[in-house]
Amino acid sequence: VTALASGEPGRREQGAAVGGDAWRAALETVAEAAEAHAAEADVRAAFPEEAVAAMRATGLLGLLVPRVFGGYGGDVRSLVEASIRLGRADLSTAMVFAMHCQQVGTLVRHADERLRRELLPEIAVGGMYLGSVTTEVGKGGRLLSADSPLDDFGDALALDRRAPVVTGGRHADGFLLTMRSPAAETDNLVSLVFARRDQLTVEDWGGAWDTLGMRASDSGGLRLRGRLPRRQLIGRDGCFREISIATFAPLAHLGWSACWLGSASGALARTLTVLRQERRGRAGADGSELLAHRLSGVRQQLDTVYALLAHCCTLVEREQDLSRPRIQLMLNALKLSASEATHRAVEQLVEVVGMRHGYLRGSPTRLERVLRDLRSATLNFHNDRLHAVDGRLAFLDPGVGFAETATAGAEGGGPAFFPKEAL
Amino acid sequence: MDPRFTAVLTDHLKFLAGRELTEAGSLRDLGLDSMQVVELLFALEDAFGIMLDEEVLTESTFSTAGSLWQTVAAAIHDTGADPS
Repeated sequence: VTALASGEPGRREQGAAVGGDAWRAALETVAEAAEAHAAEADVRAAFPEEAVAAMRATGLLGLLVPRVFGGYGGDVRSLVEASIRLGRADLSTAMVFAMHCQQVGTLVRHADERLRRELLPEIAVGGMYLGSVTTEVGKGGRLLSADSPLDDFGDALALDRRAPVVTGGRHADGFLLTMRSPAAETDNLVSLVFARRDQLTVEDWGGAWDTLGMRASDSGGLRLRGRLPRRQLIGRDGCFREISIATFAPLAHLGWSACWLGSASGALARTLTVLRQERRGRAGADGSELLAHRLSGVRQQLDTVYALLAHCCTLVEREQDLSRPRIQLMLNALKLSASEATHRAVEQLVEVVGMRHGYLRGSPTRLERVLRDLRSATLNFHNDRLHAVDGRLAFLDPGVGFAETATAGAEGGGPAFFPKEAL
Repeated sequence: MDPRFTAVLTDHLKFLAGRELTEAGSLRDLGLDSMQVVELLFALEDAFGIMLDEEVLTESTFSTAGSLWQTVAAAIHDTGADPS
């Protein structure tokens, strides 16, 4: 298991790394549950119930919940480490977990005190698995717009929302939903609102989740209708843009990329094991130059993604204003590069081992499933949309500098991403 | 705010709809989206003969007409250009 090394030893005290390894034991329990059921869940396109039950029982759902609310008080690096580990076991489970944590991190940083006191302890004891409702028909992955309105009834807000893709949504106990603000004249004034499942009528919508890969994520569409107290708005009405730049998008890019890297890392590790076993049986046959060349290429791509992931962790932890063009470009580059490189790496592994271990379902390398799962990476918030944004952002940095952490200064910049006093 | 600044900015605010532009006016609400930020930046740089540093092109700079004008005015001051 890889622990993402922090830039400076002292920084580790900011997070969960020093505060005890209990969460790592929880993580192992969950990873084992994920691994044990992944093959069957893939065949049946069934949600990883055992793994999520283990997340509840071990409290791992509360990885990012501050200790004062009973959680593990984890930080961005804990999320990344856990996502890599779960990704090695099963990408569907890892994505379900990472996206839940994205919702939790958003609550921790942006919900008001009343909502935090209500929800965070419940998450920490495993009673609340959160789904994310951001997709909408006709807008693709455009995160910062919303067509469905929140209707304003004074103290209450009503919603009727159709979302074509909701990761694990059929199993969630609550949701964070993006909705068009009641005050909006345009579709880009978006609010984020929390809803308990029992406050809503939740129906399957848009067909079954019967897919090429990510089959166990059960990400089929939902129609959600209901009436919510106004106090369930997260942050101010219409402020999702700020939330997205500060927290929601960075945690998505970091969490997803870590899941994908974990998935490809697990594939390489299992392939190396198989190659070594086969070599034992053939004395003197130590592999060809072509094999070495291809393996090197795979490893190189994973190391490159890891380095980018570690750098983005540091940026997110240290920089107070993530809206700077260079930082936006770097965080987007993480998602773009990780989604492409991890899939390409596994495709090359298939070439390395050939038909038997690269194409057959029963191989212990599990390359067949990993390749199908990772095919979703470029589509999961489509890379084309990020490129459209980045092509414009490039003009905002015509001198072509790169996001470094130097501006943070010797003291390590602003307050920690999840403030220490809250842990 | 400089009238030339207001004129350039107004061209990029599709929801201003003839209303007067105030310093507190939220540029996002008035229709400035991320895609138009680049066009607006080029227009302002050309109009005033300035270059805005990447470091200042943040969300808060583009949040209101007043905050954007402050940034533009500072760049005009730095280059010694005469806004009139």
